Amino acid sequence: MTRFAFQNVGVFDLSWSKAFDKWTFGIVTKPFEDQYFTDSLYLSFKIAIGTAALTLGLLIPTAIWVHLRVPKARVLVEFMTVLPYVIPAIALVAGIVVIKPHARWFLNSDLSLIPFYTVLALPFTYRAIDSGLRAIELRTLVDASRNLGAGWMRTMSKVIVPNLRSAIISATFLTVAVALGEFTIANVLLKQTFPPFINEYRMREPRAGYALAVLSLLFTIFIFGLLSVALRSPSTKSHQNSPKSRELS
Amino acid sequence: MGNSHNLPPETEGAVAQAAVPSLVPKRVQTNRARPNMAWIGLVPFFAFLTLFLFIPAFSVFSQAVRGADGKFTLGPLREGISGQNLEAFKFSIKFSAGAAFVGVLFGTLLAYAAVITKRPKWLRSLIASFSGVAANMGGLTLAFAFVSLLGRQGVLTKILAALGWDLYSGNFGLGEIPGLITVYSYFNIPLMVLVTIPAIDGLRSSWREACANLGGTTWTYWRRIGLPVLAPSIMGGFLLLFTNSFSAFATARVLTDNSKIVPLRIGFFLGGDLSVGEDSIGYSLAAWMIIVMAVCMWLYWILRRRAEKWQS
Repeated sequence: MTRFAFQNVGVFDLSWSKAFDKWTFGIVTKPFEDQYFTDSLYLSFKIAIGTAALTLGLLIPTAIWVHLRVPKARVLVEFMTVLPYVIPAIALVAGIVVIKPHARWFLNSDLSLIPFYTVLALPFTYRAIDSGLRAIELRTLVDASRNLGAGWMRTMSKVIVPNLRSAIISATFLTVAVALGEFTIANVLLKQTFPPFINEYRMREPRAGYALAVLSLLFTIFIFGLLSVALRSPSTKSHQNSPKSRELS
Repeated sequence: MGNSHNLPPETEGAVAQAAVPSLVPKRVQTNRARPNMAWIGLVPFFAFLTLFLFIPAFSVFSQAVRGADGKFTLGPLREGISGQNLEAFKFSIKFSAGAAFVGVLFGTLLAYAAVITKRPKWLRSLIASFSGVAANMGGLTLAFAFVSLLGRQGVLTKILAALGWDLYSGNFGLGEIPGLITVYSYFNIPLMVLVTIPAIDGLRSSWREACANLGGTTWTYWRRIGLPVLAPSIMGGFLLLFTNSFSAFATARVLTDNSKIVPLRIGFFLGGDLSVGEDSIGYSLAAWMIIVMAVCMWLYWILRRRAEKWQS
C-alpha cells in the first residue's frame, strides 16, 4: 500500500519542481506557443474521435449480433478480441511496415492510424460493451421493441443504445485514452500526433517538455475522474455472499 | 417437376419421389441452414480484424523467413535468438517477470484491501477508478514523470542524496532492471488490481464461515480454500502483467537508449538505415516476440477459464 501511495505521490511531486523552477508559471504555458503544438494536438483529437466512432460502430452491432443470433460464436469472438495482446503494438507496426509499399495510398493519410488504434483498444472496449450487453435483458428488450413495430434502426437507437450508456461511455473514454497516448505506431510510421510531439519537444526544450508531459498526465487523470463520476450508479450486481455484502445480510 | 404448385412442399417431394424413386432426392429436414447464415453478420468484424491485425501479423512472419536474396530461409529466425538478440530476450524476460512478480504481489494485496475495507465506503471505487486510469496510462508521459523523479537529476534523487542515500552509487539505473521494474510497477500494480478485484469478490463469505465452523483458522482458510480458488486468477494476472511489461515500447524508449530489451531492438531495426538483408532480423525479433506472447496468452486463456468458474 505504501509503495502504491508513494508512487502516486511521486507523479504529482515531480514536475512541480520542473514546472515551477524559479517559481514561474511561464514554463507551463511555453509548449502552447510552439508551432507544432496545436497541429499535433488537433490531429490526435481527430484520430481519437475517429477511433471511438469506428470502435463503437463496429463493436456494438457485432456484439449485439453475437448475443442474439450466433451465440456459438461468442467464444471465438472473445478469443479474437484477446489477440491484440498477442500481437502488441511494436509487432503490429512491424507488420505495417512490411505492407507499406503495397498500401501507400492508405498509409500516407494520417488518419490511417484509426483502424490500428481500434485494434489496439479492442480487448478493453469489447469487454466493456459485452458486459454492458450482458447486464441488460437484451433479447426481451429487442423482442418487445420489435413487437411494438420498431424496425432495427429504431430498436438500436432508441432501445439498445440508451441502455448501454455506461458501457459506451467507458469504451469511448478508453479508446480516447489509447488514441491520445499511443506512441509506438505513430512514431514508427512517422505520424505527427501528440505523443511524438511531446517526445520531440522534450528533446528541444527539456523543462517545458516535462511540464507538458505532466499536463497531459493530469488531463488524463481528470478525464478519468469525469468518467468515474459519470458512471456512478447504484450497485448493479449484488453478490449474495461476497465479503462486501456480509455487512448487510 | 414443376407441375405441383398447389401441393405443400412435403407432399411434393413425396409424390415426386414415389413417381421417380431414384432421381428425386429425399426431402431432408434441414434446420442447419438458419444458424449458418447468421454468421454473415460477423463478416464486417472478421474482415476488419483480418485487414488490420492478421495481415500485418502474417507479414511479420513472412518477412522473418526471408533472406537477403528474398528466398525462404530460416536464417533470420535463428539469428533472432542468438548472440545479442538472445541477451535481449533474456533481459526482457528477466525484467518482465520481475515486474510482473512485484505487480502481482502488491496488486493482490491492494485488491484484497480494497474489497475487504468497508469503511470508508468510497475507498473501493476510488481504488478501482484510479486503477483504471493508471493501468492505461503507460507510455511516454509516465516515463517522463519517472525520469523527473528518479533520474540522475531527479527530484527524489536529490532529496534522497540530501538524506544520505546516493541512489546511483550501486547498480541502480532507470534503464536497468530495478529501475524498469519500479516504473513498470506504476501501471502493473493497478492492472493487477483491476483484474483481481472480481476474483476476490468471488470468494464467498459462506466459505469463510463454513471453514470457521469446521474448526479452521484463518491460515487454514487461506491455505485450503482461498488461495487455491484465487490461484488461477493470480497466475493469470502474472501472465497478463508479464506480456504487458514485455511488449511496452514507448516507456522503455524514454528510459533507456540502449537496445537491451526486445521491443527497442525491433524499433531500432525497423527505423534505421540498414543494408537490405538486415531488416529481416527486426522482423524475426518481432516474430519471436509474437510467439512468446502467444504462448503466454494461451496459458492465460486456460487459467482464465478455470478462474471464471468461481466468479459466476
